[in-house]
Amino acid sequence: MTCERTQEKFADYLTGDLDETGRGEVQKHILDCTACREDLEDLTVVWAKLGVLPEEQPGSAVRGRFYAMLEDYKDRLEADRKLAQPSRPRWTDWFTFRRPAFAASFSAFLLLLGIGAGWLLTEGRQGGARYASLSREVQDMRQQVALSLLSKPSASDRIQGVSYSAEVENPNDTTLAALFKAVDTDPNPNVRLAAVDALYLFRDRPGVRESLVKSLSVQSYPLVQVALIDFLVEVREARAVDALKKLIEAGELTPEVKARAEQGLKQITV
Amino acid sequence: MNADPSEKEKTGRMSPTDNELMEAVRDGRVEKLAVLFERYQTMLYNFFLRLTGNRAASEDLVQEVFVRVLKYRAGYLGDSRFNVWLFQIARNAHIDHLRKQKPALSLEEQFAEAPSHEPQPDAVYETDREAELVRRALDRLPVQKREILVLFRFQNLKLREIAELMGVQVGTVKAQVHRALKDLSRIYLELQGGNVS
Repeated sequence: MTCERTQEKFADYLTGDLDETGRGEVQKHILDCTACREDLEDLTVVWAKLGVLPEEQPGSAVRGRFYAMLEDYKDRLEADRKLAQPSRPRWTDWFTFRRPAFAASFSAFLLLLGIGAGWLLTEGRQGGARYASLSREVQDMRQQVALSLLSKPSASDRIQGVSYSAEVENPNDTTLAALFKAVDTDPNPNVRLAAVDALYLFRDRPGVRESLVKSLSVQSYPLVQVALIDFLVEVREARAVDALKKLIEAGELTPEVKARAEQGLKQITV
Repeated sequence: MNADPSEKEKTGRMSPTDNELMEAVRDGRVEKLAVLFERYQTMLYNFFLRLTGNRAASEDLVQEVFVRVLKYRAGYLGDSRFNVWLFQIARNAHIDHLRKQKPALSLEEQFAEAPSHEPQPDAVYETDREAELVRRALDRLPVQKREILVLFRFQNLKLREIAELMGVQVGTVKAQVHRALKDLSRIYLELQGGNVS
């Protein structure tokens, strides 16, 4: 076999995809040809070196963005389907963020609140107190909207509710409880995933980690199970160790989730 | 009819194939894309990370790929493997990303050009020195060679799949892989010896 024909086989040789005959031919050639032998040795070394590059995990925001995009796409698809058979609108339908008019009005309202707050801020000390009070009101308003959206029948609205609660600087216990409830009981796995991602922002609040450790034992969606494990590994939550062990022992996990749980267990206990 | 999308996964039985899932997405059950996203997001992210060396850009590109999957879902024929189709979309997204980065250069020039960027502080994603050296060597390969190596070494694509993806003969891919590995080996040794700044 010529050098050229031999070298053509190197790529398959490295991956082990060469059959017995092909391997034999390559090995026979390199016994006699120093140049090809050295060439293959160099390639084998660099091939092995490439293996030291670790695989990285993308940030959790990637998942959140994807599910928000998917829900939005589904809603638009659904709206297109309904267009063929329009139904009589209910008055409550007006108050949805998918209606540009309502979204714009609400944004304008928040903007006015912001301007008011800014104006008060320039008024000095007295204004400062009023600004703080206004700022609290904006935060409260955000939480109320978040809670209201979280109780909507549309998954897209509930995801938006999760996003709203994620923007609250210091959410109250009711908002956190609504997020916990979404993680455990929301009928849509995408909403559950969004809620896990939002809770990551509040990971240092008391009760958040404990609650997610508990969720691990009641969670039924594999994708959400993986997200919970990622979360608890990220924060190195020692209390997750027992929960993970029980989960693995129960033997009800899919192979992918089981592998992630076992890997997570190692990462936490290192 | 529309059973719980994760039911099969819950029981761990008969996971649908990529092709079955994508055909379902094409036919309107777009929620099935979530399973494909979970299967491929890490693979795509690492594909882009090894091409761009930039985490934020790689995350944006992963999102862009799935936006395009939905946009072009009607064109999915299912006659080739799903991963080949997906990486075709990923390659195009990366090419468009390069265009945006360097609008003054022709695409051919961008592909022929070795990357000039040194790793950004946030892109230093390896503490181990050897891995860092390999990553730097890979970074110095021209984009086209780097892409073929990343596809072959890390994305588990077969030579014939890469040939299909790139629209060339299998023999051409074999030769390109060979050349790319030789160049990488040379660059690695140069970096190791400190001959190249």
